[in-house]
Amino acid sequence: MIIFKNVNKWFGSLHVLKDINLHIHPGEVVVVCGPSGSGKSTLIRCINQLEPIQKGEIIVDGMEVNKRSTNLTKLRSEIGFVFQQFNLYPHLTVLENVVLSPIKVKKVPRKEAEANALRLLERVGIPDKANDYPSQLSGGQCQRVAIARGLAMNPKVMLFDEPTSALDPEMIKEVLDVMVELAREGMTMIVVTHEMGFARQVADRVFFMDAGQIVESNTPDEFFENPRNERTREFLSKIITHN
Amino acid sequence: MLEHFSFRVIGQYMPLFLRGLWATCWISGISIFFALLIGIIACGLRLSKGRFLKKIAGIYIESIRSTPLLAQLYFFYFGLPTLHVNLNEVQTGILALALNSGAYIAEIVRAGIVSIPSGQVEAATAYGLNYLQRMRYVILPQALGVTIPALLGQFIVLVKDSSLVSLISVLELTRAGQLMASERFMPAEGFFTVAAFYLLIYYILKYLSNWWQNRLIYMEGH
Ligand SMILES: Nc1ncnc2c1ncn2[C@@H]1O[C@H](COP(=O)(O)OP(=O)(O)OP(=O)(O)O)[C@@H](O)[C@H]1O
Ligand SMILES: [Mg+2]
Repeated sequence: MIIFKNVNKWFGSLHVLKDINLHIHPGEVVVVCGPSGSGKSTLIRCINQLEPIQKGEIIVDGMEVNKRSTNLTKLRSEIGFVFQQFNLYPHLTVLENVVLSPIKVKKVPRKEAEANALRLLERVGIPDKANDYPSQLSGGQCQRVAIARGLAMNPKVMLFDEPTSALDPEMIKEVLDVMVELAREGMTMIVVTHEMGFARQVADRVFFMDAGQIVESNTPDEFFENPRNERTREFLSKIITHN
Repeated sequence: MLEHFSFRVIGQYMPLFLRGLWATCWISGISIFFALLIGIIACGLRLSKGRFLKKIAGIYIESIRSTPLLAQLYFFYFGLPTLHVNLNEVQTGILALALNSGAYIAEIVRAGIVSIPSGQVEAATAYGLNYLQRMRYVILPQALGVTIPALLGQFIVLVKDSSLVSLISVLELTRAGQLMASERFMPAEGFFTVAAFYLLIYYILKYLSNWWQNRLIYMEGH
């Protein structure tokens, strides 16, 4: 589904992704963790070409992301992206936020798009907020709208960049619940997060990134019980004392 | 002093003033429309990736902003006919006003766009909207919202600047005042009336902008 071959990326002279190789299968749920600045966000932002790469190859559902002939619009409409800061459109209602891209990009008729959006809002647990503006919602509700907005494009993959780290503790669960359900329904997901409970519950694999490299990749059980890498152990002990 | 102030003559000249007022309104209105269009396009070009287009927009904006409007007006009025472009006085006036304000509006809109958090562009990009769609549905509605006070200021400047077209003998508000002043030797009455009408336009614009702002804040983007 998603393949990285020797991917390298620089910001100016800063080498942020170093020879990344990975292969993510359809239906797989992968959690990415690691210290701040290690390149986690950059890794997933390269998948939908929010960031270009300088060397290597990324293939998503058979499409070469960085090839000129690739239809970026089509690529992006197969990938849902959920941001840490939600990035909802503040001038549009919740419903309009969800239907904008299906209508403008996928040319879905408005009626159909709205009906689908209402179904999705129900699925993420906020069917009654369709006509509110984002400023009238709590952080947890905003993030669930953002997930609905991602799902509205009917994507094959959902990418999450620290979806709960801007939220107050009491709202984290409501968002994670939606994500767990999504994982159980078989969505292919890459989730950058430090929510280790989520990783244990639904992840098929956990990646640990450090300084632009994936230094450990394992099943959650192995990863938490038996971390092989020194840096992973150090990192886990920090997270666990924090929790 | 007031007994020398001739309200009677102002009354006599009222039809002329009203004609002038009407001309000022529609000339300004059309100019504002084109200025907005030009400003948004110039701003779009300036923020685009194309080097050449960026440069063109930059030159346009800078050369307008660094020269007096009167010089621009004379350039079009006296210069265009020698280049075999024949516009009448009103068209020349609208051209000069729209191009002039367009450059300022381009900068105002740019400031508004730059103030939109980068996350908005990222979200719109990630969800497949192309450059024009991002501008139209996500960036501009928000940018116009935050720039309304500055845009209103520019509209008011344009209305006042439209008085310069009296110099190429277009009959608008200021010209009406000039006519009264010179025919009746009553500059105080003539230009006082002119000022009062500009004030009236100012209040109407201010009212409109408040109304527009309230609508835009909670309006969908299309
Ligand atoms: N647009 C950019 N321009 C220059 N450098 C950048 C840019 N974005 C990220 N970086 C740098 O690249 C490195 C990796 O950043 P990235 O955001 O991927 O890290 P991260 O693992 O997501 O960190 P965090 O946990 O803080 O979100 C960091 O050193 C960061 O400062
Ligand atoms: Mg990050």
